[in-house]
Amino acid sequence: MAASAADVRSILSIPAPSLAAGPSQQKKQPTTQTRKPEGISRELYSLIGPSAPSLVTLSKPRLKQKPNLGGGSKVKWECRAFKNPGRQDSLELRHWVRASTAEDAEYPFAKYNVPSNVFTYSQDEYTRFLEDKEWTKEETDYLFSVARDYDVRWFVVHDRYNYIGGVPRSIDDLKDRYYSVCRKLVRNRPWAGDETSKAQTIASYLFDKEREITRKKYIVSLENRTPEQIAEEEALFIEVKRLEQNERRFKKERDELLRTIAGIESGLPDIVEDEGLSNLAIDTKKKKNRGSVMDADSPAIPAMPVSAPIVKRPQTAKNAAFDAANCIVRTDPPTTVPVTKAAHQPAHLRSYKLPVPKAAVQPKITAALAELGISHSRLVMPTRDNIMQLESLLEATTSLVEIKRVVDKVEYDIRVLKTRLGMRESQGVEGRPGEAMDVDEGHEGDVVGEDGRAQSVLSTRSARSRKQTRRSMSISSVDTSGTATTRAGTKRQKRS
Amino acid sequence: MASDRVRVRGVSIFRPIIYGNTATALTQKERDALPSPDHTHRWTVAVRSAASGGNADQVGGADDLSYFIKRVTFKLHDTYPNPSRNVDKPPFEVTETGWGEFDIHIRITFVPESGEKAVVVYHHLKLHAWTASGEPEIPPIDVAIKAGPVHSWQYDEIVFHDPYQNFLNILTNHPVTHLPKAKRKPVPFHLANPGSLDASKGGVPEFTSLMEKEEADRLEEARQAIIVEQERWRTVLIERERELENLQKQLAATPQ
Repeated sequence: MAASAADVRSILSIPAPSLAAGPSQQKKQPTTQTRKPEGISRELYSLIGPSAPSLVTLSKPRLKQKPNLGGGSKVKWECRAFKNPGRQDSLELRHWVRASTAEDAEYPFAKYNVPSNVFTYSQDEYTRFLEDKEWTKEETDYLFSVARDYDVRWFVVHDRYNYIGGVPRSIDDLKDRYYSVCRKLVRNRPWAGDETSKAQTIASYLFDKEREITRKKYIVSLENRTPEQIAEEEALFIEVKRLEQNERRFKKERDELLRTIAGIESGLPDIVEDEGLSNLAIDTKKKKNRGSVMDADSPAIPAMPVSAPIVKRPQTAKNAAFDAANCIVRTDPPTTVPVTKAAHQPAHLRSYKLPVPKAAVQPKITAALAELGISHSRLVMPTRDNIMQLESLLEATTSLVEIKRVVDKVEYDIRVLKTRLGMRESQGVEGRPGEAMDVDEGHEGDVVGEDGRAQSVLSTRSARSRKQTRRSMSISSVDTSGTATTRAGTKRQKRS
Repeated sequence: MASDRVRVRGVSIFRPIIYGNTATALTQKERDALPSPDHTHRWTVAVRSAASGGNADQVGGADDLSYFIKRVTFKLHDTYPNPSRNVDKPPFEVTETGWGEFDIHIRITFVPESGEKAVVVYHHLKLHAWTASGEPEIPPIDVAIKAGPVHSWQYDEIVFHDPYQNFLNILTNHPVTHLPKAKRKPVPFHLANPGSLDASKGGVPEFTSLMEKEEADRLEEARQAIIVEQERWRTVLIERERELENLQKQLAATPQ
């Protein structure tokens, strides 16, 4: 470059270095100056120096940093045996791992083996909630077993679904049945969490078959359009847009005209934009972008909102605070009940409204709750929340009692069948019945003895029936006498 | 005004109250002074607001309830002279002496503006100390004197549905003293929560909002236990049903 150091100095009005300065001082100079910013050539920088405002945009294409591959230090790898806890069998495989990983570290991919949670239901639940005239119990059982086998992957399930003696089912039929059963089970079983999580779970099992079928039909018809039809549709769409625009302009002009001439509004109705059409426009555009690939099997969008909207009168925070301070609870007045004097709910004490279990199961519920240290006939603090809480507790207990009753019945049936089988076999072979009884006894032991505490919750009956097996097969008499005594016992505590 | 006699629909308003009694065993000297020396206790049965007020020796009673309660009638045992005691002004309580426990009818009549009928509650007069077992037990009199007063109180809420406008105004003009959030005094003992026996000892109890929370927790815990139990029994049931089915098949397969 032609510019010498002296030129630069004169331009930037830097005093010339004293001639006496040795070469060592000369060398120091670049270090005292600020570094040259990137993006300016060295020559230009030496001309303008750091004091001049840089007019050039300092944009040097920034390259990605070289990835640090850790090439510096050596990594030791080892071939180790490992077990996958996700597997049912204890198959042992070997893989390469860094020597630094812990010896007993869990297989990192095991967590991806998430078993699908397929519901099971009892015969009793089936008869109470799940009856459907289109489906038999056997076929429903089969559907659930296939769903379990294939992890509720519907295409596979549908592919493998082959119920002998059944009508052919579409994938939507299968889904519809499966999800409706799940929904009914969630709804009818007592829920461990709160109401919103229950509603969410139910919502996650929503499946609207009709909607799904319509959706698929629509997609098929969309896909089956000929190029001419598509062209026609687009032409029509453009035509509509044009008409709309024309009309809008016409209206505007007319409005203006009337305002200038007569000073009034034209009174022409506003042109309502057709939502459907504009949506369609976006839709078609999108589809073009996506290359008309549509996932026909994405799960149906739930038709219902996740949580049912709670209709509440608008309530400000101030109101809520006022209500809380004054112990006011607002409910929407029921519109169905006629407003008469007789319909008025008189003043009462909160504890009057304690929930009462059904008379038939009351002794058992009382006994079960007593074991947990709860008396359902009285509360320390009968507030609104606590009464609701007690209500859900009673509900859960009722269904527990119900399940236990059915278990007892099934166990009784099993015993009857076993003796019948034993008797038949004894007709064939001498000396078999004793053996059959032994089997029966052992089995009974493991039913009842599974969990001492659980057994003691409400079941005085199975304890009794254990003795019963030894004596005879008439269980029912014990059962009734048992309830009779407990009922007499609870009569005393009628007072709330 | 006519507009006052309009019911405010969709509103229910409640007032927390407590009812119950406090009983103190009498010393021999005090008993001698009584007209009937066989009486062993002096007791007070009362209806009060739930939150405790300035009086440290009294359970509840922070608010004066006479703005919505016109009269409280305590119907004592027939052996008392004039067993039906009407109390028309606060404090709504009756103090008597006696030797036995019995049920007291408490009839709460509301002010005429409410347009509501009276409500009746029962309270079992409690003279002898609470026991862990719940079985009544009569301790010797000197032990009872040493142990101090016995408290038996029930919390409750009086609920008014769709109150008349003027009654609602009366109620909202008398704000409620809410239960304290922290425990400062012993817990009032209640048979539904036998576990509170130890916490109930040592002085005049006080109702707190912690008690509500504690009870809600107990109920929730019980519910969880029931649900766990239920899950377990459901699996048992499903197993048994499967077994039954197998047996049925087996039975069908074996020749008659």
